[in-house]
Amino acid sequence: MEDMLEDTVLVNLRINGKPHELEIPPHTSLLDLLRDDLNLTGTHMGCMTGHCGACTVSIDGRVAKSCITLAATLGRAKITTIEGLTKEDGTLSAVQHAFWDEAGFQCAFCAPGMLLCTSELLEGNPDPTDEDIEKALAGNLCRCTGYQSIRRAVKAAIASNKQAAE
Amino acid sequence: MSLYPVFARPRSLDQAGEVLGSLSSGAMIIAGGQEVMPSVNYGMLMPEVYVDIGQVKELRGITEADGAIHIGALTVHRDVQDSDVTRSQVPLLAYAAAQVGGGWQVHNRGTIGGNIVSMHPLYDIVPSLLALDAEVDVLKDGTVDRVSLSDLMKDASHGLGSEALLVRVVIKPMPSGAGWAYEKLKITAGGYGSANAAAIVAMDGDKIASLRLVVGAVSELPQDLSQVLSNCFGQVWSDSLASALEAKVCDAISNPLSDHQGDGNWRKAMAGVVARRAVAAAIAKAR
Repeated sequence: MEDMLEDTVLVNLRINGKPHELEIPPHTSLLDLLRDDLNLTGTHMGCMTGHCGACTVSIDGRVAKSCITLAATLGRAKITTIEGLTKEDGTLSAVQHAFWDEAGFQCAFCAPGMLLCTSELLEGNPDPTDEDIEKALAGNLCRCTGYQSIRRAVKAAIASNKQAAE
Repeated sequence: MSLYPVFARPRSLDQAGEVLGSLSSGAMIIAGGQEVMPSVNYGMLMPEVYVDIGQVKELRGITEADGAIHIGALTVHRDVQDSDVTRSQVPLLAYAAAQVGGGWQVHNRGTIGGNIVSMHPLYDIVPSLLALDAEVDVLKDGTVDRVSLSDLMKDASHGLGSEALLVRVVIKPMPSGAGWAYEKLKITAGGYGSANAAAIVAMDGDKIASLRLVVGAVSELPQDLSQVLSNCFGQVWSDSLASALEAKVCDAISNPLSDHQGDGNWRKAMAGVVARRAVAAAIAKAR
């Protein structure tokens, strides 16, 4: 069984559409991999316990807290960070634009979680209720307590998506 | 032994069992990482070997077999909430999985297996599983044995042991017409409740035919108080019965937790409150 033990782990991650083959130490968190190895510093380091949501990324289409995700367990995952939300031409996505318009950020430390959770919510449910919105955002703490403007921003994104669909 | 942890990726259940059997207690099973990583980040846990069980197919999926629901240990809370099987057959568990703290991010990665084997007094899944008389399949020394979850929980200080692996949870569907409720009293910031209760009730007309009640987050382990409340059978739910039930539950909590979620005497009192609310809500739902 000794031959099963690896000192380093090879992962093949597709991050914001770009393939990355990385040989990493087993204890590397996804947060450290993104920030330290790839310089994707839009993913924020907050509590390191999974409470605050500032380190949120999307793994295979589902939001996750990167500080409590061991990178070596991800194999061939597709990862989207806050940098990957922007459209290819560099313009803001509908969700980003709505947060901009409605002042959904004050310090923006919580932006990764708020934006990625809202994006996942609206992909699966174009017309969420207030309760759906609260559930989707429950894993994020805004330390400026700007929750009302965040809620307005989500509603503005819903309206803008509906307008675009018409 | 290296200064840094090493990594093992078994590809099958057999391989996982062999790897775990060959390693010392410094080995740590990792799946979603939601239980392990916060402790690693704060230096409270320093695994020598991570055993990543994410590639073991036998641990995945929610299926129905032999009149029971099988939930693979790697099933994440989000899938327990959303699966048609759990929602229709064990709605109490589907609802409880949605009450786990940490939001979608944790629900997307945290697994039912990790939640059980951590044996954390404040977690949300086990009270419902105990009320449902769940069993678990455990791999140890090359064989998979089925044991009742309540037996497994009795030795919480030792847990499963580092050489064993929880394979799946096996639950009988809830009887049709049964009422159910999970009440979580949350008064602090963060994801934990200060007291919670899972109840399943069957009614015979307006009388209580049977009652399962498990109270969690108030003592070291969730407590199954169904026996204590057997005198409710055959009775009509009323204000006086509700008060009597609340008092009995409080009395049954002999050694309440005192922590960030509240002090012991208050927790004892709240155990009665959540129990009363859960039973009342379950009766309202029963047909």
